[in-house]
Amino acid sequence: MDMLKETEVFAKVSAVEEYKELSDKLIEAFQNVRVFALYGSMGVGKTTLIKYLCSTLGVADIVSSPTFPIVNEYVTTNRESIYHFDFYRIKKIEEVYDLGYEEYLYSGNYCFIEWPEKLEALLPEGCVRIYMEDVGGERIIRV
Amino acid sequence: MGVYILGIESSCDDTSAAVIYDRKVLANLIANQDIHKNYGGVVPELASRAHQQNIVPVIDKALRDANIHKNQLHAIAFTNGPGLLGSLLVGASFAKSFSLALNIPLIEVNHMHAHILSLFIEDEQHKKAPDFPFLCLTVSGGHTQIVLVKDFFDMTVIGQTIDDAAGEAFDKAAKIMGLPYPGGPLIDKYAQEGNAKAFRFPHPVVPGLDYSFSGLKTSILYFLRDQLASDPIFIENNKNDLSASIQKTIVDVLMKQLKKAARQTGIRRIAIAGGVSANSGLRKALLHEEERGNWDVYIPKFAYCTDNAAMIAIAGYYKYLRNDFTDQQVVPFTRYK
Repeated sequence: MDMLKETEVFAKVSAVEEYKELSDKLIEAFQNVRVFALYGSMGVGKTTLIKYLCSTLGVADIVSSPTFPIVNEYVTTNRESIYHFDFYRIKKIEEVYDLGYEEYLYSGNYCFIEWPEKLEALLPEGCVRIYMEDVGGERIIRV
Repeated sequence: MGVYILGIESSCDDTSAAVIYDRKVLANLIANQDIHKNYGGVVPELASRAHQQNIVPVIDKALRDANIHKNQLHAIAFTNGPGLLGSLLVGASFAKSFSLALNIPLIEVNHMHAHILSLFIEDEQHKKAPDFPFLCLTVSGGHTQIVLVKDFFDMTVIGQTIDDAAGEAFDKAAKIMGLPYPGGPLIDKYAQEGNAKAFRFPHPVVPGLDYSFSGLKTSILYFLRDQLASDPIFIENNKNDLSASIQKTIVDVLMKQLKKAARQTGIRRIAIAGGVSANSGLRKALLHEEERGNWDVYIPKFAYCTDNAAMIAIAGYYKYLRNDFTDQQVVPFTRYK
């Protein structure tokens, strides 16, 4: 993974409770960023991390996997929308166009994206790429 | 004198149209290449998105298959959410314009309600519809919910998944096994030949009536990784047993909370809806409860389980009977609730 060379280890997570601290830290560290792309294999914890990121941002809804609907929308206690994408079952980039992705990614609202590899070329400039890797049961988070 | 309703569904991938006469389905179509071919006309270039290309041909074909003229329609029902905003807007805009042009009532339908109301479609083989109240397990690629249904439009979600949907659990387990997406139906197929007790996967511990399937995905992933380390052809050699064991785990989890819900509410009329209600393991488990005399079980015909417009039309029919119409100001919604 060449991309990892340009990234730094941001955190290591060995228990699910530690995601809360990680989420607070991520939102704090990238206050001006609204689009976050999460890379990592199936089961590594992308949806779990997004659950905690949403919780940090004040979402009280159930944060569930959007693999089938492709995008879930949540509302924070401040009545702001958050978009949670999962491009897992996308086959062609045309499907991303069909979705009207620009209206979401350039909305100024928080967007969390699972399987961003599927639309790499369409990711907005300045979006934060988070890489998650399972190393012997511990999750290494690089940004 | 009965009522003709046109139903339009465009909440996710497919554009569908259906025509019903009272509770009977006259036409129920999902847009595909053949519909385009037979429509004959050139689809306008401005139709950039798939639903926009599909909607006119599929409705045209549905009316022709139903053998009625558009002027015979009494009302138009469309999915107003939840779903993808861009997709919903195409159906909503068309429905609004068509109702205005024909000067007939417009009816908005909640996609999740419609899945449940598909149980009321009248069919030669499926004459049995549940009395109220009943419990409905709505299971699909995107949803897993236990719904307490007190009336056609009085429904309460009493349990739901906190992470992955049941259909997604099937599809992702299949993916881990190297089967093509969506692999849920393949798991069902291989499971027929396998031993469901060959492998054990943990059940999630979730309070109340909620579901969780994300842990199962992870445990299958780790289990197979460990097995493959010592036996590279483990999956090939155990495809049927793995499928049967995974299917049994998912079905057991679904049934456990459903039984708990039945106990807590004292309701014995149990229905299923949504794409996963096609799964043979789930059907068998439900029918087993019926044979044991515990439940009365209601399962819709397969064509009305996956996303379809007939269910939108039947929901529209019940709203029509209550004069529950909407106006041109109505706006689609994306979130459930």
